[in-house]
Amino acid sequence: MMADTNQLRMMIYASLLAALTAVGAYIAIPIGPVPIVLQNFFILLTGLLLGSRWGLAAVAVYLLAGACGLPVFAGGSGGIVRFAGPTGGYLLGYLPAVCVVGLIAEKGRNRMVFDIIAMICGSAIIYACGVPWLKMILSLSWGKAFVVGMVPFLIGDALKIAAAVPIAKVLRPIVKKI
Amino acid sequence: MAGLTAFNYLPGNTFLHVLDVRVKLAALVMLSLTCIRADLTESLMMTLCLLFLFRAIHLSFRSISRELRYFIVLLLIVFLARAFFTPGRPLIGIWSLTMTHQGVSDGILIAWRLFLIIMLSLLFVSSTRPSDIKVAVERLLAIFPFISRKKVAVKVAVMMSLILRFIPEIVNQAKETLDAQKARGIENRKNPVYRLIKFAVPLIRRTFENADRLALAMEARCYSENRTDPELVSTQKDLLVFAGVTCFCLIIIIA
Repeated sequence: MMADTNQLRMMIYASLLAALTAVGAYIAIPIGPVPIVLQNFFILLTGLLLGSRWGLAAVAVYLLAGACGLPVFAGGSGGIVRFAGPTGGYLLGYLPAVCVVGLIAEKGRNRMVFDIIAMICGSAIIYACGVPWLKMILSLSWGKAFVVGMVPFLIGDALKIAAAVPIAKVLRPIVKKI
Repeated sequence: MAGLTAFNYLPGNTFLHVLDVRVKLAALVMLSLTCIRADLTESLMMTLCLLFLFRAIHLSFRSISRELRYFIVLLLIVFLARAFFTPGRPLIGIWSLTMTHQGVSDGILIAWRLFLIIMLSLLFVSSTRPSDIKVAVERLLAIFPFISRKKVAVKVAVMMSLILRFIPEIVNQAKETLDAQKARGIENRKNPVYRLIKFAVPLIRRTFENADRLALAMEARCYSENRTDPELVSTQKDLLVFAGVTCFCLIIIIA
């Protein structure tokens, strides 16, 4: 019975984080010249809070919901074509990224240094999948692809990682209290 | 649904509403894949069909265009990127950049295809009840041999409907949190990390509390994974539509 309760809870939490990721694609916090979109922030946070297994489930369901045409991706759109579009690589990159973040955070027993390393690896994986895809689809040169698809977001990413560490620290007890 | 009104179920009793959900979902996936390969005349054909269907389910063009305005900006960016970065015969030169003939025709085609797919998913979501989507996803996933219906498909379907339920709640909560912060003069704080933390912690903590309550409520109502789903019936008409869509996709892909 206890195991069942635990399962149900984790399932609901995973859906909640997937929904937060979906909303993160809509809400942007107006900070500085480039507003910060919270989508990949929530992806990283999913890995930290839920660990690799449930984190992977959350992201997989999120992507599947998008592929089925539910409006969960940026700009209020869904559809399987988003994977073929210019930003598809980033979306697919979320899967290995959340897995790695979860794994490193679990191995590090939630110590702060490991959290930071985990998120840096996660972001690197997202770009490693996203930038070559962007280059291929829009037929840009490598240099241009990096300038368009990575450089403008690096500062935002650093801010997100800096914010995610204390947030994960506050929220972990809520998730783990079972 | 705060701010996201276009992608909502629109109650009705039209041809699209009565169509079997499984057929609709399969058609959506097939047509989306086909769009990627469609050329100009085929895209035009599909656009006309879609316009007809939008009229049929009484979706007003004003609400669509209002909800999709951000998406149109995205399309414009895709078009411009194509138009300027494809080599070919020059058309217009702006500063050091040149628009090419090939780039413009390429850009129009790609932007058009993306637009078609958005319209397809809009049609699907506005003519299908969320609970029906859940059942259809469950059934279609169960087709694949490596996915067991009991274990995986049901969970995925439930999670998907939970996501749809959580989204409006989170949007409202986020709005409330942002307003509360404004009322307390958050604008005077310039540190973005501070602002992000002060925004995300209350938002996520509250949504987690709501989720806890939901878990309790589901347990109290004896939630289990083998519940009775609404019966899905497909008639001859559904089969006909399915066959028609399949033929259409095959013709475009082979041609």
